[in-house]
Order: sequence, then C-alpha cells, then structure tokens
Amino acid sequence: MKSDDPVVLVVDDDHRVREALSSLISSAGLQVAAFGSAAEFLEFARPDVPGCLVLDLQLPGASGLELQQQLLAKDTPPIVFISGHADIPSSVRAMKAGAVEFLQKPFDDQELLRAIHAAIDQDRNAREKRAELAELQRRYNLLTRREREVLPFVVAGFANKQTGADLGAAEITIGVHRGQIMRKMGAKSLADLVRMSDRLGIAPTARPA
Amino acid sequence: MDVQPGEFEEEIKRLQRCINDLVSLLALPAMWSSGEPSQIVDTMLDALLRMLQLDLVYIRLKGQGSQAPIETVRFAGSQEHRARTHDFGAVLKHWLEADPLRWPPLMPKPIGDGDLSIVPLGLGLHGDIGVIVAGSERADFPQQTERLILTVAANQASIGLQRARFLSEQKDVASELDRRVARRTAELAAANQELRQEIADRKRAEEFHRVVVETASDAVVSIDHRGQILLANHATGRIFGYEPSELIGQPLTILMPEYLRDSHKVGFKRYQETGVRHINWQGTELFGLRKNGEEFPVEVSFGELHSNGRPVFTGFIRDISGRKKADEALRASERELSLIIETIPGLVWCAAPDGELNYLNQRLLDYTGTSPDAWARSGWTNFLHPDDAESTARAWAHAVATGQPHEVQCRLRRFDGVYRWFQVLGQAAHDSGGKVTRWYGLLIDVDERKNMEETLRNGQARLSRAIQTATVGEFAAAIAHEVNQPLAAVVTNGQACLRWLAAQPPGMAKAQEAAERIVRDGKEAGEVVRRIRALFKQSAIENVELDLNEIIGEVLHLLSGETARRRVAVETDLGQDLAPVVGDRVQLQQVVFNLILNGIEAMDSVVDRPKKLFVGSKRPSPETVLVEVRDSGTGLKDPGRIFEAFFTTKDNGMGMGLAICRSIIDAHHGRLWAANSEGPGATFSFTLPVQAGAAS
Repeated sequence: MKSDDPVVLVVDDDHRVREALSSLISSAGLQVAAFGSAAEFLEFARPDVPGCLVLDLQLPGASGLELQQQLLAKDTPPIVFISGHADIPSSVRAMKAGAVEFLQKPFDDQELLRAIHAAIDQDRNAREKRAELAELQRRYNLLTRREREVLPFVVAGFANKQTGADLGAAEITIGVHRGQIMRKMGAKSLADLVRMSDRLGIAPTARPA
Repeated sequence: MDVQPGEFEEEIKRLQRCINDLVSLLALPAMWSSGEPSQIVDTMLDALLRMLQLDLVYIRLKGQGSQAPIETVRFAGSQEHRARTHDFGAVLKHWLEADPLRWPPLMPKPIGDGDLSIVPLGLGLHGDIGVIVAGSERADFPQQTERLILTVAANQASIGLQRARFLSEQKDVASELDRRVARRTAELAAANQELRQEIADRKRAEEFHRVVVETASDAVVSIDHRGQILLANHATGRIFGYEPSELIGQPLTILMPEYLRDSHKVGFKRYQETGVRHINWQGTELFGLRKNGEEFPVEVSFGELHSNGRPVFTGFIRDISGRKKADEALRASERELSLIIETIPGLVWCAAPDGELNYLNQRLLDYTGTSPDAWARSGWTNFLHPDDAESTARAWAHAVATGQPHEVQCRLRRFDGVYRWFQVLGQAAHDSGGKVTRWYGLLIDVDERKNMEETLRNGQARLSRAIQTATVGEFAAAIAHEVNQPLAAVVTNGQACLRWLAAQPPGMAKAQEAAERIVRDGKEAGEVVRRIRALFKQSAIENVELDLNEIIGEVLHLLSGETARRRVAVETDLGQDLAPVVGDRVQLQQVVFNLILNGIEAMDSVVDRPKKLFVGSKRPSPETVLVEVRDSGTGLKDPGRIFEAFFTTKDNGMGMGLAICRSIIDAHHGRLWAANSEGPGATFSFTLPVQAGAAS
C-alpha cells in the first residue's frame, strides 16, 4: 500500500449495509474504514491520504446532514450520501452543502463506485491544490516586511520608479526588492508571480486613475 | 390489885412489851408519808396482828361519796384467807352500822368452829372513817394493855387516815385547779391564735388588694369628699404620665380635659348633697388628659366607700385608645371588604346555613337587572336556564345538607334575556365547632371558555382523523425502511460477490462471505415481511410454545454488533425455572428486540458513566413469567405516555415501536409497562401468562 492510496470512509448505522458496502468497496481495490455513527467517525484519526465519505442520511445521534455541517469547516473529504428513503428536501440540502452524489438504497454498484472514484479524484485535486497553496504560503513567509509591501506594486505592473516614489525609496532599491521577491517566490516570470499572488489572495495595488 | 411476885415480874414484862408496842405504834405514822390509805391499813393490821398475836384483824373504811367501802382482813399464820375478806365482812355486816360499843364480845369464827372474842373500835369521830375489829380465840382477850394498844392503834390509824383523806382532798383540789388553769390557758391560746390568724388574714387581704391595685392594668384612683386624690396606683402613672406620688393631694380634675372639669365639679357636689348621680358609674366612656396635654378616650367605673364617716370614691380608669383604634381598624377593614366585594369582577352571593340567599353584590344585581327583593320574591332558580335549574338546585341542596363545597356550571339570564354560562362556586364558613355559619359564593363568567372548549372538541375530532390518515402513510414508510435496509444489504452484497468472482484472480473467500450475508439478510427481510403481515393480520398469529430465554438470547445475538459498536455492556440474569409461554415467535421477538434496542439507544448520549444494559427473566408467580430490560440512560420524562402512538423522544423515530409492542403483549394477554429505575435510566417490563398446564 502506497502512502497516498485512497481510503473510503463508510458511516452507516445498519451493520448489514455496512458489511455489504465494505465488501463491495474493497472488491474495487479501495481501502475501507466503516463506522456505526457520526460520533465514532469523528473519534477516528483519519490518515492523511485522499479519500471520500460514504454517509448514511439517517444516523442515530447526529444525523448525516448534521455531520456534513460539522465537517464543512474542516478539510473534509467529499461526501457521497446514501439513503434508505430519500426525501427531496434532504437531498437538496446535502447537494447544496457540497455532496458529490446522493444515492438511494438499494444502489447500483457501478453508480456507487463511480461516485466514490469521482469523489476521491476531487479530494486528490483539492489536496494537491491545498499542498500548492501551502507551498506558496511557505515561500511568501520568506519575504521581508518591505518585500511584502513592494509585491502588490510589482504584480499591479508599476514601474520601479513609480513604486519607489510611492513608498519613499530609491528606484534602485525597489529593483533589488523585486529581484529578491522573484527569487524567493520561485517565479519564472512576472505572469507567474501574478498568478501566485492571486492564489494567495494578495490584491494588486490599484493604479491611479 | 392482888399480884403475886412471879406474876409481878410477868406483869412488868407485859407492861414493858406494851410500852414497846405503843412506841412502835407511835412510830408508824412516820412510814405513812405517802398518805396512801392502803399503806396505812396494811402496816396497822400487820402491826396489830403481830403485837397482840391476834387470830384476825379486820378493817373497813367507809367509802367517800360514791366510792365503795374498803375492807381488809388479816388472819394469823396463813395468808390464804385474805381472799375471803368480803365473806368476813358479810358476817359482820349486820353489826357494822351499829355503834361498835354495842357489838357483842363474841362472834362465830369465820372458819372452823367456836367463837372469837372480838374488839370493835370506831375510827375517827363517831366512827365516821370506819371500823377496826380485832379477834382472838383467847377467852381473856382483850386484856387491859391490849385494849390500850388497840385504842392507840385505832387513834393512830384515824389520824393517819384522816390526814390521808385530807391530803387526798387537797390533792384533788390542786389537780382540779391545775386542770382549770390548763383549760383556761388553752382557751386563751386558742383565742390568741384566732386573733393572730385574723390579723394575718387581714394583712394578706390588704396585701392582695394592694397587689391587685398596683398590678392592675387599669388606673385606680381614690379621692376624698373634696375631690382630692388620696391614692393612685402605678397604672395611673403609666396611663396619665405622672409619678403616682405627684398626684396625691391633687384635685381629680387634673386628669380631665378642661371642658369636663366644671361638669365634674358640679356633678360631684350635687351627688354628695342629693345622692343624684350625673353619670353612669359603670363603664362610662369619657376623656382623660395626660400630663403631656394629650387627650385620650377612657372607660371609667366608680365605687364609693365610707371610711371614718367620710366618703371615699374609687375610680377604675381604662385607657381605651387602643381599643378605639382597633374598632376603627375593624370598621375600615369592613368597609374595605365590602368595597372589594362590590368591585370584584365577579358576582358574589352569601347564603344562610339553611341555604337561603341573604346577600347579592351589586354586580350580580346589575347583571340580572333586578333588586334583592325580586330575587327573594321569584326564587333564584328562576334566573337560571330552564335546562339547568333543576340540576343546580339539586347540587345546592346537596351542598347545604353536607357542608361540602358547592360547584356547578349553569346558565344565568342576563337583564337582556341572554343566557351566559357561569361557574358557580360556594364555600361554607364554619364556626369553631364545625357548624356552618354562612355560605359565600362566587359566580364566574365562563361563557367564552365554554364556547372555546366546544370549538376545541370539534378540532380534536378532526385532528384524530388526520392522525389516522397520517398513520397509514408513516407506517408504510417505516415498513419500507425496515425492508429496504436488508434489501440494500442483499443487493450490495450480491454486487460485491459478483465483483469478487470477476476479479483476477477471483476473491473466492470474499465472494463466499458476501453470498452468506446475502442469504442471512434475505432471510431477515423475509422475517420482517412475515412479521408485518402478522401485525396487520391478527388471526395469523401463530400460537406455539415458546421459551422466552431463547428469544432473548436470539435478539441479544442479533444486536451484539450494535451493543459492541455502541460500547454497551450487556448483563443478563435469565431464570432457569421459566415455564414456556404460548404465542407468536416473531411478534414476541419484535417486542424483545424493540425493548433492547430502545434501551441501547437511550444510552447514546451517556458519556459520564458506563453504558449498562440489563436483561432479566424470572417467574414471580407460578402463573406468570416476567422479562425486564433495564438501561442506564437518561430515564423517562413521561413513563405514562410513552406507549401512546406517535409519542417519541427520538429525532427520527415515529413513535410507533412501543405502541406496537404494547398491542402485541396485550394480544398475548400480558402486561407491558415502563418506569424509571432507582438508579439512572429506565426499566421496561412485561409479563406473560405461562402455558396452561405448565403452571403446576
């Protein structure tokens, strides 16, 4: 098993369904961990690998929808809902809150596995994006305070002279800062730096009208 | 006398003996110091008997007054004849009263034959003391010397006896005197004691009166004929604000307000002149004046007493300002009460103990638009709706007869003829002996509430119809869910099985497990269907002999995954003496399943203590078996209602489980109930009758 082998997490209070699901999912070559309640699931220390959550809508204690709400705040794996007797309002709520799929029992194995795979892919992408962002954040943290002040001017396309005037520094000094920023951020070009700033949510300094 | 020489010598000896005897006799009185006549008699007789060698000597003393005579006799030699003194006296009797000088010289011997020479001698002047008789057998008795001795002896005895008698009389007089003195002394002492007692009594009475006067809470003031104060007790000082000593000698008017003084003086003077009283002397209400000038109401009573010919008037003065205030407060409270009764937003009535109305408040009169007279004339039942009159009157009669609170609802006619519903409340007031003294009643307008109740009742009926309709839908949903779960498991397992088989290489073991689960879950789904069918079709209940312990075991096994997952510790105590019951296996399984699952779910929120589930069975009586399921959950808020349909404490429950359980147990002639345990959690119990024939 490789370190990024995905894990499918199953939460269903019916042991029969739980057993069947575990068997079906592992027959597709996926790791499975099954839980009888939301509380049990929350206690579980999730491995740092891509995965998805197959969640029963009707759970004892906290219901599936409640668990979904609780997980929204965290780096949660995408959710595939399963339900014995799905009602429309519940499914709408689940989908709105970001569920990948909403399946009604008994479900087709192809459909379920497709949804699981889609969810895992989605999680993998999300994880990659989170990793990229974390890397950018790490690099950004390397910048000095002055360099962080200069960055918005650079990505807004200001000339060094103009930036220097605005920040009260010599043109040549701004040029040094710019070089350091490009190096520390690992940007191959200005366009690359602009993209990075965008990911980090740094707004370019507005051009004077 | 012619005397021979020998005789002469003899004569001298005789005379010498005589002289000796006489000296002895004369010495005898020295022995009679005690003055006892018996001693005198005894010594004298003994002396004579010895000196004169007499055969007998007798003495008889006359009794003094009513006393019997004292007789004593001595015989020579033996003393045995003493006892016969009286006989001897009887012999002498007819001589005794005669002059001794006339007695014959001889008398027959009292004992034996022959005669005795006797010499009787009177004692005292003319023998007034008694007589002494000396007797001898000798014929020459008495000789001259002997007669002399006898005479001297008689004289000595007379003197001695006379003295004794005198002494005795003297003694009597002295003792009589002593007695008289003692009696008089006692009389005097008694008189003295009486006097002392009287003095003490009087002192006590005076003290008592003083204490009464001094401790009296009322002022006690005595005045003389001039109206000056002679005496004032402590209370006077307290009430009027003076030191009692300050008041002595002051005119009584000092204690009166200015405006009463003249009339007092005039009335007091007139009374002393004419005896006419200008005010009532008992309990008259007047006004007093305190030292600080404050005027206050008093109640005064007077008495008159004459002392040394002068009248003394004593007044008892009570400060009634407190009472006046209390009276005023009472009147105010009565006014208040009547105001309350008149303004209370209710119709108030009062009735006599016999039930006759005697008070109606203004609101009641206004409502009916009548006067109290009209009520009295036409009778109160005439104001009621004709349909209510009889029942209300009957209820009232019952209340009056029993004293029980009166409560009825009836329609009362308003002045405009409209009837409105009223709640009538009547309450009896009792005296300390428990007798009804009065009835107090209130009429509350409940017309709107009454109408609302009616509306509500209609609404309830509609609601229950709606619930019935909803039940079918919800129940269908529940059944669908029950069937759907195992079905979903079957389908999924089937798909998994196929996938394991199709894999390269095929996962045969996994495929087999999945297939086994298909069989298991498929059977369970079938059971569910069968169970549901049985639920809806009572006639289809299978009546077979069942072992409840076996059913409990099966259910616990079925739920073992659930209990393990939810970390519930299951404890069982299954009685080995359980008798079989008759019933439907699936239905009873369902009951046990439901109760155990409920218990498990009841502990979901428990985090601060172990989750423990106890399942027990026993046979409390030969005819029944009992099953108990006890959890350590949060307990039941409403144990009485949980068996009602649609009563649920679960977010996604329908509230049908326990209702169905109860109907199943009922159908099996058993009983199902729930109660909160003594510790945390609840206990569900059911009993079932054991199979007939297995009871014994």
